[in-house]
Amino acid sequence: MAEEFSLVGKRLPRADALEKVNGQIRHVTDMELPRMLYAKFLRSPHAHAKITRIDTSRAEELPGVKCVLTHKNVPKVHPRRKLEYLLDETVHCAGEEVAAVAAETKEIAEEALDLIKVEYEVLPAVFDTEEATKPGAPLAHSEYGSSLYHGTDYNPVPRFTPEGWLTLQYGDVGKGFKQADYIVEGKYKTPRQYNCSPLPRAVICEWSGSELTCWADTQIALWASQDLATCLGLPQSKVRLISSPVIGGYGAKEPQKIATLVALLAKKTGRPVKAAFSRQEDFIGTMSRPSYETYGKIGVKKNGTITAMQTRMMQNWGRDCAYDSLILATSGGVTSSMLYRWQNSKWEGCNVITNTIESGALNGFGDPEAGFCIERLIDEAAEAIGMDPVEFRLKNCMRAGDRAIEVPNVVFGPAEWGILGPDLDSFPECIRRAAQKAEWKEKWKGWKTPVAVHGSKRRGIGIAIGTHHGALWQASATIKMNQDGTANVLTMGTEIGQGFKTAMIQVVAEALGLPFESVNVTMADTAVVPASMGNIGSEGTSSMITVAKLAADKVRHKLFQMAAESLGEKPENLEAKDGSIYIKAASERATSASEQKSRLGELESAKDRGETGISIASLCLAGFQITASANMPVPIIDEKTGKVVYCFSVAVTIAEVEVDTDTGELNVLKLSLANDCGRAINPQILENQVDMSVTLANGWVRSEDVIIDKNTGAMLNPNLLDYKIMTILDMPKMNDMQETLVEFPTPWGPFGAKGCSETGMCSPGPAIANAIYNAIGVRLRGAHLSPESILEALGK
Amino acid sequence: MLMELLPIVLTVNGEKHELMVEPSWTLAYVIREKLGLFGTKIMCDEGECGSCTLLVDGKPMLSCLMLAIECEGRDILTIEGLADKITGELHPIQKTFVELSGMQCGTCTPGMILTAKALLDQNSNPTEDEVRETLAGNLCRCGNYKRITECVLAAAKIMRGEANG
Repeated sequence: MAEEFSLVGKRLPRADALEKVNGQIRHVTDMELPRMLYAKFLRSPHAHAKITRIDTSRAEELPGVKCVLTHKNVPKVHPRRKLEYLLDETVHCAGEEVAAVAAETKEIAEEALDLIKVEYEVLPAVFDTEEATKPGAPLAHSEYGSSLYHGTDYNPVPRFTPEGWLTLQYGDVGKGFKQADYIVEGKYKTPRQYNCSPLPRAVICEWSGSELTCWADTQIALWASQDLATCLGLPQSKVRLISSPVIGGYGAKEPQKIATLVALLAKKTGRPVKAAFSRQEDFIGTMSRPSYETYGKIGVKKNGTITAMQTRMMQNWGRDCAYDSLILATSGGVTSSMLYRWQNSKWEGCNVITNTIESGALNGFGDPEAGFCIERLIDEAAEAIGMDPVEFRLKNCMRAGDRAIEVPNVVFGPAEWGILGPDLDSFPECIRRAAQKAEWKEKWKGWKTPVAVHGSKRRGIGIAIGTHHGALWQASATIKMNQDGTANVLTMGTEIGQGFKTAMIQVVAEALGLPFESVNVTMADTAVVPASMGNIGSEGTSSMITVAKLAADKVRHKLFQMAAESLGEKPENLEAKDGSIYIKAASERATSASEQKSRLGELESAKDRGETGISIASLCLAGFQITASANMPVPIIDEKTGKVVYCFSVAVTIAEVEVDTDTGELNVLKLSLANDCGRAINPQILENQVDMSVTLANGWVRSEDVIIDKNTGAMLNPNLLDYKIMTILDMPKMNDMQETLVEFPTPWGPFGAKGCSETGMCSPGPAIANAIYNAIGVRLRGAHLSPESILEALGK
Repeated sequence: MLMELLPIVLTVNGEKHELMVEPSWTLAYVIREKLGLFGTKIMCDEGECGSCTLLVDGKPMLSCLMLAIECEGRDILTIEGLADKITGELHPIQKTFVELSGMQCGTCTPGMILTAKALLDQNSNPTEDEVRETLAGNLCRCGNYKRITECVLAAAKIMRGEANG
């Protein structure tokens, strides 16, 4: 029988809904402080150049200008231990910051930028992976001395080969390919993608003596505060970073080094300083999902067994990456090595440094990049043996007990394999449920047979699957009970639109037996809340709400002990419900607990009053201050094998498309989605998260394109007219977006929930590509599924 | 570089505001920076995303592409003015956005709601296609389009008296 919950699993309205519909919500962009100055940044017009002379005197003389920073007067530090310096004497990308100005108004700051004279010695630049890795090619980062990023002295990455490659193997692929009846292979590309957070990044810094407060629009408050402390030479105790609420993260919402530059401007001027990017600055001055070039090879037997899988991935790393090699390792360790029960697998990947916008996190973090290649190739393998692509995936998808590895092991070692948790039997179920929703059996007519043909319009159907980790990082949380029996959760997590605050309240209120309204969440204020890695890697629920639930369990334990004394009953015979703690049998009779009979610090005896319950408010008043904290539990070890049990989530997309073979026009008619979430804390919000990742995936493969000028390296389309994100008309109609949440509770997360918001990004792209193949009979292996690429594939 | 300031009277959410504005200031800028109505969100500031949509004389307009001086004597409605002034009761579209989670990050929400209001004021029983066509210029990076469509159609039902608000 299903467990009965009062809040978990309910389609409750969001805790932040009201302020979002009545215009009351405030973000860093909307904040003003008295005497505040405004910062603007001068950016390099060249992709690779040495600054030979920089003259700021005229800018400094402009009335209203208060401070100008260049590489000459800022500390020589590596923000976030990256290759670049805070402001560098050599610029490695068009758009890189060259100088920062603080002035009385934005307009004066902008005018001052025009008055800074910079002379450059232009250096040879490289923009794509192929040209950057040709023998004798110029180095994008000449000081680094290699075209492949493989760590630094101050940031060693031990698992790289001397040649600069990361690798991961299982079994012997040579042997595996020999056993295969068929081998399919191909070269694939995946595109860059700009995160396009709806509000461009903004930062405000203010000093009080030697203490810094920074309001930043970031989903990783801990990293931002650590970076400020390191770059400014401050103890972390004197850096307070506040980040809530944040607008649309999708992975890349971070201030990066802008926060440090603004802090320095504020220090030097003695006034608060704000930087708020324009949309164009946000395009060129932040980071994008890296593009990939991948070679893949699969060996398959006639019976559908995959004997070997080999992939070789070259990632366009850009000029730098705040995530070092983690994105690459995710592509290799997770999707390339685990997604299927390959009997033998070998993956190699490298980070190619180019003079382009730096790479960074975006929904899916490496798994969609690998999946867009592998899932197109898998389709070719299924076709080679003539097996239904749904059946092929059902036979081969990973499941509970199969080998698994986590990303830090791939990067830092040891590269030891653990196993997938029991929840992963959800995978075949997801495939079956998506196939039902898509009416696969009725629509799939076999290889090389479209679903329907009407003149130049051909309909096709295709499937793809994907995975992403569902719990990984360190986290901690504190529950602070107030004297009126309400609770505050202190967490480094923040609300970025994903519904974190609402899910947190549902879980903690459920655990404490409190009404939804009695719990509030204090988010991402580093002076107040305990450390967590933040809202990355779909960690909101799986890490930060997990630890909050553990802390709530400890608080409940304390409350039960007090209630036991007051009620004259053993703690194990009590239950928390509707804001009170009752003797279990008595709660059936709906005995109400009296309001606040206790006095501060003194616990009244409810038993003496003849009551069978006591309100949590009364206990909190008596207890004066009840708190509890919890950290992420140690890894779960499987008793039988002694191996670490890992938590991953999976998702399936079946796409039905219509392609006009005359115009190349692609219409995505229907998307049938099945997402494995362990348990849906709030199904309504989770369905929205599924739609989010699926829509991002559609934009990524269909229309979003970071176009780089082949001569200057500058981005040519940094605006929302030329950089096309999905509109409502590009996505299927209501009844043709079919989300299915599949619940196989995990031992990790709160009430069995796990992270899954990014997993949905992995499969829509290849599912659409495979559906296009079914429609037109030609495989698309390039980066985009655009009308142009469809016509090109058709030889038109 | 000082620009000449011009006096104007703007009627926003039924209230008259006497302001001195530069001729180049956009309506979005004045609404946010001079009147402090930060419910109007700016995603692109160049007319590409629809998030700063306001109702000017009942019509959805991109406030980042309008000059404040063009708006003298016109009736401007921002998201802050949509709920009932006296009772504070939310507009049916706001209600359904709350109940059905029509928003995620919330940036596109004010523009979506105001654009939808203009539609429902003209057409109380729109089809799904009509809602989609109307909202085609409002970008939602969170991809919440399906839910937003549901919210607008559910609000239309309330406004027609076929469902409780």
